[in-house]
Amino acid sequence: MIDYEVVIVGGGATGVGILRDLSMRGITALLLEQGDLAHGTSSRFHGLLHSGARYAVKDPISASECIEENLILKKIAAPCISNTGGWFVQTVEDDSSFVEQWIKGCAQAQIPIHEVPLSEAYEKEPLLSKEIVRVFEVPDAAVDGFKLVWANAKSAKRYGGHYKTYHQVESFQFEDRRVTGVIARNLLNGEMLTISCKIVVNAAGAWASKIAAFAGVSLEVICDKGTLLAFNQRLFQRVINRLHTPGDGDIFVPHETITILGTTSEIVDSPRENSPLKEEARKLLAIGEEVLPELEKYRVIRAFAGVRPLHREDSDVPGAAEEGREVSRTFALLDHELRDGVRGIVSIVGGKFTTYRLMAEKVTDWVSDKLGNATPCRTAEECLSEVPNTVHEKARRLLPCAAAEKMIDRLGEDADSVLAEIERNPGKGKMLCECEMVSVAEVEKIASDQDTHHLADIRRKTRLGMGTCQGAFCTYRALPLLWKDKGKYDPIEKELTLFINQRWKGIHPVLWGQQLRETELTRAIYASILQLNDNRGE
Amino acid sequence: MDLKQDNVKNLDACIKCSACTALCPVAAVNPLFPGPKSVGPDAERFRLEGIEMDIKCLNYCSNCKTCEVTCPSGVRITSMILGARERAKQSKHSDGKTLQHRFRDLVLGRAEYLGRLGTIWPSMTNTVLSISLMRVLMEQILGLSRHAPLPSYHTKFKPQGSFVQSDKQVVYFPGCFAKYNDAQTAQAVVKVLEHNGYQVIVPNFHCCGVPLQANGYFSRGRENAKKNLALMEPYLKAGLPVITSCTSCGLALKEEYPELAAAGAEYIGQQTYDLFEFLWELHERGELREDFQSVPVSLGYHAPCHLKTQGIGTPSVRLLRLIPGVQIQDLDAGCCGLSGSYGFKEEKYDIAMQIGKPLYQSVQQGVAEGRFQTMTTECGGCQVQIQHGSGVKTEHPVWYLIRAYDL
Repeated sequence: MIDYEVVIVGGGATGVGILRDLSMRGITALLLEQGDLAHGTSSRFHGLLHSGARYAVKDPISASECIEENLILKKIAAPCISNTGGWFVQTVEDDSSFVEQWIKGCAQAQIPIHEVPLSEAYEKEPLLSKEIVRVFEVPDAAVDGFKLVWANAKSAKRYGGHYKTYHQVESFQFEDRRVTGVIARNLLNGEMLTISCKIVVNAAGAWASKIAAFAGVSLEVICDKGTLLAFNQRLFQRVINRLHTPGDGDIFVPHETITILGTTSEIVDSPRENSPLKEEARKLLAIGEEVLPELEKYRVIRAFAGVRPLHREDSDVPGAAEEGREVSRTFALLDHELRDGVRGIVSIVGGKFTTYRLMAEKVTDWVSDKLGNATPCRTAEECLSEVPNTVHEKARRLLPCAAAEKMIDRLGEDADSVLAEIERNPGKGKMLCECEMVSVAEVEKIASDQDTHHLADIRRKTRLGMGTCQGAFCTYRALPLLWKDKGKYDPIEKELTLFINQRWKGIHPVLWGQQLRETELTRAIYASILQLNDNRGE
Repeated sequence: MDLKQDNVKNLDACIKCSACTALCPVAAVNPLFPGPKSVGPDAERFRLEGIEMDIKCLNYCSNCKTCEVTCPSGVRITSMILGARERAKQSKHSDGKTLQHRFRDLVLGRAEYLGRLGTIWPSMTNTVLSISLMRVLMEQILGLSRHAPLPSYHTKFKPQGSFVQSDKQVVYFPGCFAKYNDAQTAQAVVKVLEHNGYQVIVPNFHCCGVPLQANGYFSRGRENAKKNLALMEPYLKAGLPVITSCTSCGLALKEEYPELAAAGAEYIGQQTYDLFEFLWELHERGELREDFQSVPVSLGYHAPCHLKTQGIGTPSVRLLRLIPGVQIQDLDAGCCGLSGSYGFKEEKYDIAMQIGKPLYQSVQQGVAEGRFQTMTTECGGCQVQIQHGSGVKTEHPVWYLIRAYDL
């Protein structure tokens, strides 16, 4: 008697994509995630839905995969995607021979590009440097990692899929070199859990080698740290890429109310090494200046870093594996039975956020084959969620337009219950987080959600604390709502300190100008008025 | 008046302290208005994303600019809100106004044409406007509150008098209120300046543009400003000061005209003076005629919002205190509520009255307790609104100089 046919380890885009695909094909599955869904690499990136053009010259397979998936995701995940379009801009510094190669590469990968006259470019993007030589439009877009991951999880749940967050895998059970179960610890209460299954899918991203090691299998994942900057406002209306050999700091992505610039690329020892540094921030600004002059005068609200899990064995550039950018961005499905003689476990490594669905499809095909399930994949056709028009209308009636649309995009069908609460109690329609327009009712709903255990979980689901003030005002406003679910967030002072410190992690590398003034105000509120350093409340 | 804003100085400078919203007169009385921070810098980040705010919210802003005075970061919040209104108006979506309100705003924005029309036969205009049936009709047809204190019309201001020829010259910008509703005050300003040895030049100026802007006619407002600048340019180049007696015209000349791409824009800001600011500088230089007769009067003073925004303090209070016998106290009781034509609108009238309530009460109390007899304030709109709200006579401070000089 087994608990689930499949256990998936890792709640990033790939993991939830697999959970959804399996569930849609009627295969019982449980996903285990050590933190909150999308707390890792799946939310620590540009938020760029690649058109593939970035890989057109060096990595044609990735390029083709990206453009195909780009078009599919725009269709099935529209609420998670802002179809901004993108430009590749060649500055006077950039090599023209690369441009010719790039145009050919795009044609080969079937990425539609067209040249934009400079006069039109400056009209549409007035902040663009006057040192631009050529501009090409590509079908890039902005994608929200948090929303996409949660939309997949919710869709999977509707198909009977299960997931448990804050559950860390500690070991596997074996029978005759076959993995037959997973032992995991509930990090919130320390309880151990044993789940028997037929197949384990290792989709742990940057943590994949650690998971593989539980099966006695070695798996090399390169941890490539990338630091990014979040600007206070939308500087561009579309994705802006430098038209040159992919390098550091050469992509701007307008994301909701902010703009993200990145990234750096540095090999690190562990996925936990994701603290952004001031030098990295300065470096990004200096490179970004070549596309947007006087960039340093624009306010940076925080820096953040993610760790790309790159798979070394895929590298077709001999001897270049140490350089993160030289490793192919295609993915690999590792059948450990063929590779290492261990049955019942498969690893999915490498790849990109943009290709998460394709990766999930390949894994699910493999699993289905093993389990003898012949149901075809439908994730390329079936939309993740569809919110009825009546909900949109109701939201626009009860909330300011910006807040209404944003909430529906974030919560999908759950928006309805928030609106019902606002209808009952109009005071709850007030904005708790004013920078990102998150209502009291929305925070209350998410706080009471069974998948929410920390303020940071609320942040990932709502954008609370992610705007200009970086939590200065919304954090203390959210506390009374946490108090209602007292048992879950105890001790509440610790929750407050944790959240403020998480915000500080991203603020301190960019502590200058207006953000420094903001931080002084924040410090006055928490260190002085609330005496946070003295009232630890243990 | 060119509303293209600098997003570094504005959007990025806001640290979300909410001081503007805490002191916003409209937000204090109207729960439907989320305040200047919300519809200004907060919403602007969403507007850059292409998501528009509810236009009704934007229209609650009365353009009093208290937020800009309050902001510790120097964010031009009102300009941001007006800019959003302008873009909302230009966009294909409805600006949320009914046809009636659109027509009403078209009319209210045109203080100059109304003035020209009203001064053709002022007594007839005033008689018609005082018929209550007429006001009921105007409310129903135009959306102008039947209770609002519409100012009466007088013979249009035509500069007259001795036509002093002097090598000391100033340009006077009377503004529509003085020109069409209160020519005597405009005449008094001229007399006071002439008494101090100045030749007063009054070109045939157009409306400064503020009413047009406040009612959503931004490009017309800019056109007016450019026409006025063209009229002033030769004088500005010659270094002549431009004197205003209306604090809103003065603010526009000082803060918005310099942003226009037009000849003279580089001078206008620093060469514009509020009348009393100018006279006070004369006093400081020892050039003001101070042969004052005693004027035994005790006055309550209200500082108009757009005077506060000019950041020059209250020069009229300082100057009137030089006159023997004058007692004057600054009530400091907030906005009068009218904000140009805001309080005339039927859907805004009650808000305006609520905003001004602390001021009216302070005025009535001061008079009842015998602390002062009558009110004075520079702004014509504040004058009619304070009279309307408190029943106490309110005049421009220049009238006490006229009495002191015995002109």
